[in-house]
Amino acid sequence: MNINGVAIDESFAEAFPMKATRLVITAHNLTWARHAAVTATGFATSVIACGCEAGIERELAPDETPDGRPGLAVLIFSMSGKELAKQIERRVGQCVLTCPTTAVYAGLPAAAGEAIALGKNLRFFGDGWQQSKMIAGTRYWRVPVMDGEFVAQETTPVVKAVGGGNLLLLATGTEEALAGAEAAVEAMRAVPGIVMPFPGGVVRSGSKVGSRYPALSASTNDAYCPSLIGLAKKTDLTPDVRCVLEIVIDGLTEADVAAAMRAGMKAIVERGAAAGVTRIAAGNYGGKLGPFHFHLRRILGEGASA
Amino acid sequence: MSGWHLRLRQQPTLRLDLRRVTPAALCNADALRVPVWHGNEPSLLGDWFDVSAVSSETPFLRIEGDLHRCDRLGQGMDAGRLEIEGSVGDWFAAGLAGGEVQLCGNAGALAACAMRGGLLTVQGDLGDHALGALPGAMDGVIGGTIVVHGSVGARCADRMRRGTLLIAGDAGDFLASRLVAGTIALAGGCGAHAGYMQRRGSIVFSGASPQPPATFVPVRADVRVAWQLLAREIERVAHANGIADAFAGLARRAPQRAVGDLAVDGRGEWWLAQAL
Repeated sequence: MNINGVAIDESFAEAFPMKATRLVITAHNLTWARHAAVTATGFATSVIACGCEAGIERELAPDETPDGRPGLAVLIFSMSGKELAKQIERRVGQCVLTCPTTAVYAGLPAAAGEAIALGKNLRFFGDGWQQSKMIAGTRYWRVPVMDGEFVAQETTPVVKAVGGGNLLLLATGTEEALAGAEAAVEAMRAVPGIVMPFPGGVVRSGSKVGSRYPALSASTNDAYCPSLIGLAKKTDLTPDVRCVLEIVIDGLTEADVAAAMRAGMKAIVERGAAAGVTRIAAGNYGGKLGPFHFHLRRILGEGASA
Repeated sequence: MSGWHLRLRQQPTLRLDLRRVTPAALCNADALRVPVWHGNEPSLLGDWFDVSAVSSETPFLRIEGDLHRCDRLGQGMDAGRLEIEGSVGDWFAAGLAGGEVQLCGNAGALAACAMRGGLLTVQGDLGDHALGALPGAMDGVIGGTIVVHGSVGARCADRMRRGTLLIAGDAGDFLASRLVAGTIALAGGCGAHAGYMQRRGSIVFSGASPQPPATFVPVRADVRVAWQLLAREIERVAHANGIADAFAGLARRAPQRAVGDLAVDGRGEWWLAQAL
């Protein structure tokens, strides 16, 4: 498959089941909501060492939030509900509770899944002065803090989600690869229900399973390192490729991840091969590890026919 | 599944005890033969009411007439829908646990006391001791939503622990005394000693602001987030139950707040949200 000179591999991205929740963080204005959301989703690129993968999903207008203030929707993914609960407590406790004027709410309907603590444990920061308020069947905690009150919904539901959807952008040079990746990320940000957890949505250190060192479970994806063309036993690159960047997508549903991958691929093929990204590939482990397979050509084909 | 339509045939001489008359209790029974007490005389529901069946998916009961001598209507009801056209006696909907109750008329004393859940709308007034606790009980209302289009008597919502109460009219003395928690919004005026020995919970005065007693302290901290959550919900419930005008624009107001009753180490709050 070749569109506008961009080759689409006959390949698929292999993704894994994760547990996720959406939080709504509001504040006096969008700037402070963003400070809290950026901090709370910081150091959350990969579950390998961060405990969770997280990002800002989108901005919320005042009429979309429970308290009528501007806010941000944040998605947080983890490998288990237990780890997710731990990460939520730490991140909301250290990054949202601490941020001036913020409040935090569950961003999914209560019936969506099993509830984990949101404000339920953070309330003890109130040292006995915390107050609970039941409003429309939902419990909120009001914790006195130095700027007034920190309001947090008691729990947030955990849903099954999909982590590790990806696109590999093979380009003729660094500038071309960055420009292509930036365009793709911008298009994908418009897709609801997904985040791209790496810096700027982009990762350069794609990995393969295993390593020659027993202590490491993952190591550099040598088949896609342009510096190893002709050196590594196997390369998936042609000599004209000088830079490869990957976009990793975590989504609430399989359809969300597929929609994001489609948006990203469309953005790349619309720019054409002349812009420098000449091929789109995807990362997988032979299809045996992850239950979700996102076939590039099938996803893009569905978009064209739709 | 069927519903029933009852119409009072004649005014009882003594009090009529209708504690067994709820939509769920009647839906699979012969309504004519339900035993009821008339004073201390046993009688049957059919002795007092014209009964007709109506088809309904869920338990349904509609009662019409001057029911002011009929006590304990809807007591302990936990499902279905009860509609009353006319004023009722005492203990109306006491211990209501679920379902919907609509009263087009007034109720006597002790209405909906010890309510546990469900929705009660009253297009009329409630008498004294409405929404209170049973004798000896530690808690009054522990759940549910109550919307009163008219006014309430004295000692309303005594010892209330959870739930939402909206009053479009006025309240008598000792509104929300010994309040444990829950939300009360009052659009009209209130009598003396509101929030007497209030422990926690919120009272929103959207009409004329009463002077908080000396055992309440004014709190000027910014608590606009909690106010928005609370006021929007009050507006939503008011709108859904036909008293939107009484609480219109509530969330846009900037209320003053007082916390007490410090006489009992209370942390309850008053939102004084009179429109300017």
